[in-house]
Order: sequence, then structure tokens, then C-alpha cells
Amino acid sequence: MNFLSITINHKTAPIELREALHLSRNEIVDFIPVLKNELSEGVVISTCNRTEIFGLPKNDNFNSNSLVSSLLEFKPVKEIKPENFVKYFSCGAVKHLFSVSAGIDSLIIGDSQILGQVKEAYEISEDLNFTGTILSRLFDSAVKVGKRSISETGIGEGAVTVSYAAVQVVEKIFANLDKKSALIIGAGETAELAAVHLHDKGVEKITISNRTIERAEKLAEKIHGEIIPFQFLKEHLHNFDIIISATSSDNFILTKEDIIPAVKKRKGSPVVIMDIAVPRDVEPEVKKIDNVFYHDMDSLKIIVDQNLLKRRNEIPIVEKIIMEEMVSFFGWYNALEVVPTIKSLREFFDEIRSDELEKIRNKISDDDYAKIEDMTRRMIGRILHNPTVKLREVAESGANLQKLTSNTILLKELFALDKNRTNNNSQKESKDNH
Amino acid sequence: MLATIEFLNIVLPVLYLFTFVVYAYDFFAEKNLLTNSKRIFLFITLFVHIFYLLLRTMEYDHTPITNKFEIFSLLAFSICFSYFILELLTDIRGTGLFIIFFSVVFQTVSTFFIEHDYAVPDVLRNRLLGLHVISALLGYSGITISAVYGVLFLILYKNLKASKFGLIFNRLPSLEILEKLSFYSLVIGFALLSVAITIGVIWLPSAFPNFSYTDPKIIGTAIVWFVYGTGIVSKLFANWYGKKVIIFSLSGFVFAILSLIFTSTLANTFHSFY
Repeated sequence: MNFLSITINHKTAPIELREALHLSRNEIVDFIPVLKNELSEGVVISTCNRTEIFGLPKNDNFNSNSLVSSLLEFKPVKEIKPENFVKYFSCGAVKHLFSVSAGIDSLIIGDSQILGQVKEAYEISEDLNFTGTILSRLFDSAVKVGKRSISETGIGEGAVTVSYAAVQVVEKIFANLDKKSALIIGAGETAELAAVHLHDKGVEKITISNRTIERAEKLAEKIHGEIIPFQFLKEHLHNFDIIISATSSDNFILTKEDIIPAVKKRKGSPVVIMDIAVPRDVEPEVKKIDNVFYHDMDSLKIIVDQNLLKRRNEIPIVEKIIMEEMVSFFGWYNALEVVPTIKSLREFFDEIRSDELEKIRNKISDDDYAKIEDMTRRMIGRILHNPTVKLREVAESGANLQKLTSNTILLKELFALDKNRTNNNSQKESKDNH
Repeated sequence: MLATIEFLNIVLPVLYLFTFVVYAYDFFAEKNLLTNSKRIFLFITLFVHIFYLLLRTMEYDHTPITNKFEIFSLLAFSICFSYFILELLTDIRGTGLFIIFFSVVFQTVSTFFIEHDYAVPDVLRNRLLGLHVISALLGYSGITISAVYGVLFLILYKNLKASKFGLIFNRLPSLEILEKLSFYSLVIGFALLSVAITIGVIWLPSAFPNFSYTDPKIIGTAIVWFVYGTGIVSKLFANWYGKKVIIFSLSGFVFAILSLIFTSTLANTFHSFY
């Protein structure tokens, strides 16, 4: 199989280069016609962490470096060196694709977004008629690997980002997040991520408070939340079950003295304070107050590290799934190679049958002819059943390619299949011409 | 029938222990392999136990409440049965091991010391007494389960406060759920205790000539009932939350156990049958 993959990812290049080479959807659409010069089928996956080209070359003497050159001509990035690209061929390329879709090749192991990105990349190629039987089957298998990895292993379980870990802790304190209210202090990237996670988890009321009110308004609009002017923040603390602070302030925004009256007003109802800012926004002493659950970056990092370790431990199980799907895929692929031989063999026998039937056609009644025709069809079916099944089995097992090749050659020689097919075809063509 | 009773008496602690081990494995292994099947083991254990209790009732012609070890067996059943219902209603399956443990202990003690040939006083054959004892046992099972959830709440609370994210953090449900489970089992336990007290107040004066409302067991039970009643009312009407409710519930449980021990062993009471 001459399937190949060329990749640049977080293992081979720094983020600046990966970002510079990132192809948007429109760019991929423009790049595919370029690829069509060299590949018969192909798919381009491009995310912030990787750009990958998968495909089947048109010619056997194909040079993979020309594909890299085409990519760099299309999107020039000066700093990129040849060693930033890794190439995989045949089984290696299939295994690499399956590892990508399973999320074990991602920067964050078990990344759940990559499977969707693989699907989307395939759909783009499909829309541009750049996929055929082999790539279609291959990407079906890749998606299956991704789905199996999620459902059969713990590769995607547990929070692996600090903001998601914060939400995981919140879930250990409150049962129904849809009845809780949350306050997000700050409107930067981390605050936004936390707000989005809470929103996704169904927190009913999310309020944003930020020194720059415009940014607070922008984030509030995104998550259908409300805003509190920063200067009135402390007066409203008691209204919130969850407080997440992620500002770039150099000093504490909330102190123990701010929290004590709020807790009193809440009559002991628990409040979760997540300080995901560096330096910290909330005085750590607040953790000493009853029913206040305070966590900072260090404590949340413990969860992240634990979950990453758990995910790493799941990699061998995912690899087993990859191997199973590779065996299945190559079984299908190898069977493709014996299909023409099986087809020729059947045609060869059918032609003999037709010739012999033709000879007796005018010598017997129509009823008898129909019976003999039926009988000979069944006879040939039974004669060819075992060789067909055995040949397919050897092909699908993929274990002994030498045996498969020698069996195929033997069949062709014994029945002169290639010669027969050529002669018969030329005879047919000459008949048609006459 | 006696041979079957004796056989089931031996089988029951084994079944409870096996169910406990299955729940413990599921809790500690964190692989969720037995999450669904463990409930089936619990059901089988309860089914065998109820069959055993019915056989005893038929064989001896009285409800199995006539000695301490029959009571222990009934208590083992009622604790697990209450948990089973709670698990079915809430679908929270990670806490069974902490509750089934009590059933293992009670049933094992019962199996070792229960007798199969004994004389039963007529007063203990009364059906109202049967109802009184069974409702009291179910009531105490309720408050025991409530206490177990209370303890789990406090353990998880301390883990969360100390940023310990180990097994307890991973396997226990949220604090809010533990609080709810504790409170619901308390309310059910309280209701059943109320039924037991009501039956007792109606039946005991006619059954015992030396009945007295100043009896230590009656006073102790009334105080337990009052403590729990105050807790429930405070939770419902004064909006008590979290740790406060749990500590109140655990205090009630400790008081209930001390009261039981005191009135059963030290105090002079008409309300002692064994």
C-alpha cells in the first residue's frame, strides 16, 4: 500500500511555526487542487497544533519532498526546516492517522476535539471529490478508532485544564449546577474558558465583573450572562455559589474580611472560590472559613496532573484498539487485491459454461436447457466456493503476503487467467467491431 | 424446613460479605466493571434474606423479633433493604460499601449466636409488637444510613478543604448529594420511628401492667425523636445547610445509640424482653 502521511506537529515544531503553517478551511479548499497534481486521493488536517497531509500518490516513483515543497510554496514559512516534517508510509501512515484520531498523538492526551477535526477534514476532501474507496474506508476506520477510544477507555476522562478542573471541583460540591449562580472576576482568556465551561455545565446565572467594563460586556454577551461593575463587586458576593477569579491583578481582589460577611449572609450555604490567577486574586486565608471551599492554581494542578497520568495509563488500551482496527482495515485492503483474480476465475469458468451450454442449446428443449443451465451454475458455484473463500481468508488475515501472492500467481498460471482474459477481451472487441 | 433455615443462616453472612466485597472492589478499583452487576448481587442477598425471615416466621409461628440475634438479622436486612431502595431511587451507587458493612457485621453476629430451639414468651408473639419492632428497626436503619452519609459528607468536606483529590474525591458523590441522602434517610427513619412510638403508646399500656411513661427507654426514645424532629424542622424552616445539618444529625445518632445502650443495659425498664 502506498499510502503516505506528512505531518508537522507539537512534537516536531514550536508553536510559532505550527501557527504560521496553519491552514484555514478556505486555504485547505484552495490547496487541494494543488495536491491533486500529485495525489489521487488526499485529506488535509490542520489545527493549531498540527498540519497533516494524508494521501495516495498517483505514481509509484513519487517523491514525498515534492509534497512538502508544494505546501511551503502554497503557504511560505521561512523558518521551517525539513526536519520539522515527519513522513510516514503504508502501515506507519495508517497507524499515525489512527493515533491522531484517538487523541494519543495530541498535545493534551485524549483531546476530544481532534476527532471532529479529522471528520471535518475528510468532509472537505469528499466535497472536492478528492476521496475514493480507500480513503473513505480508511477515514471510516479512523473515526471508529476515535469513537472506540472514547467509549472503551478512559483516554478522554477527567479534567486536563485548570479551568475545567475548577469546574470538576465545583461539581463535587454542588449537585445541580443549573440552580447555581456563578461570578467570574476577570474577562481574559482563562476567565472566558471557565465561564464557557460553567455555561456548558448548565450553570443558570453567570455574572461577569471586570475592571474594563467593555470586556465584561463582551464576555457576558457570549455566555448570555450579566455584569456587575467592578467597584460594586464586594457588595454582591453573597449572591453567588461559585466565584472564579482570573485577573492579572498584582494584589488580592478579595480578602478574608470580604468573604466572612458574605458567608454570614448566606447562612452557611457553601461557596466555592476558585482562584485561577497568577499572582493570586483571593487571600488564601479564606479557606479557613467554614463552608468556603477555596482552591488556587496549585491545588487544581494536582487534579490536572492526576488526570493526565490516568490518561497516559490508558494509552496501551488505545493502542490495542488501533491494532485491531489496523488488522481489520488491512484485511479489507488486502482482499481488494485478490478481488480481480477471483473475478477473473469466475468469469473464466462462466465462459466455459456458456460455451458448453451454447453447444447444446438447439439440441434440447427449453425446459431441459433451463434445468441444465441452473445445474451448471450451481456446480460452478460449488467448485469455486472453497478457493474463493480460502483466497479471501489469506488476504484478510494479512499475515502471509507471500502465500497470498504465490496462491494468486498459481491460480493465474493454472487457468491462464491473464492470457485468457486478454484473448477473450480481444475476441469480444473484434466481434463488437464486426 | 429447619434444615433449610440452618443452611440459609450459614449462607447469609457469606452472601453479605460477597456483596460487600463486590461493592468494595467497585469503589476502590475505579474501573466501573461491576457498577451494574453489583446491584444484582445485593438483590439476590436481600431476596435470600427475606426468604429466610419468612421461613423463620412460618416455622416458629412468630415474627423474628423474639431474641437479640433475630433482631440483629432483621436489622441487617432492614439496613441493606433501605439502602437498596435509596440506590434504586437516586441511582447513586458508590456508597453501598459503607452501609452494607453494617449488615455484614449484624448478620455475622446473628449467624454465630442465633438459636433454633427456644421458648418464646406469649407477649412476644403479639402482631402489634411485631409491627412496633419492625418499624422501630427500619427507623433505626434510616438514622444509621443517615449517619453513614453524614460521616461520608464530613470526610469529603475535609478532603475538599484540604485539596486532597484522591479516592474519596473521585468516588463519592457531591457534598450536596451526600447531604440530601443523609437528610432523606433521616426523614424516613424519623417517620418510621414515629410509627413505632405511636404503636408503642397504643399497645404497651394494655400489654404491660407495670407500664410507665417515666420509663427510661420511653424517655430516651422521646428525646431522640425530639432531637431529630428539631433538626428536620430547622433544616426545612430555618434553611440550615451543609455541615451544620450533618453535625446535628450525627449528634442525634450518637445520642440515640448511647440512649439504646444505656436503657438496654444499665437502666431498670419494663421495656426489656431479652
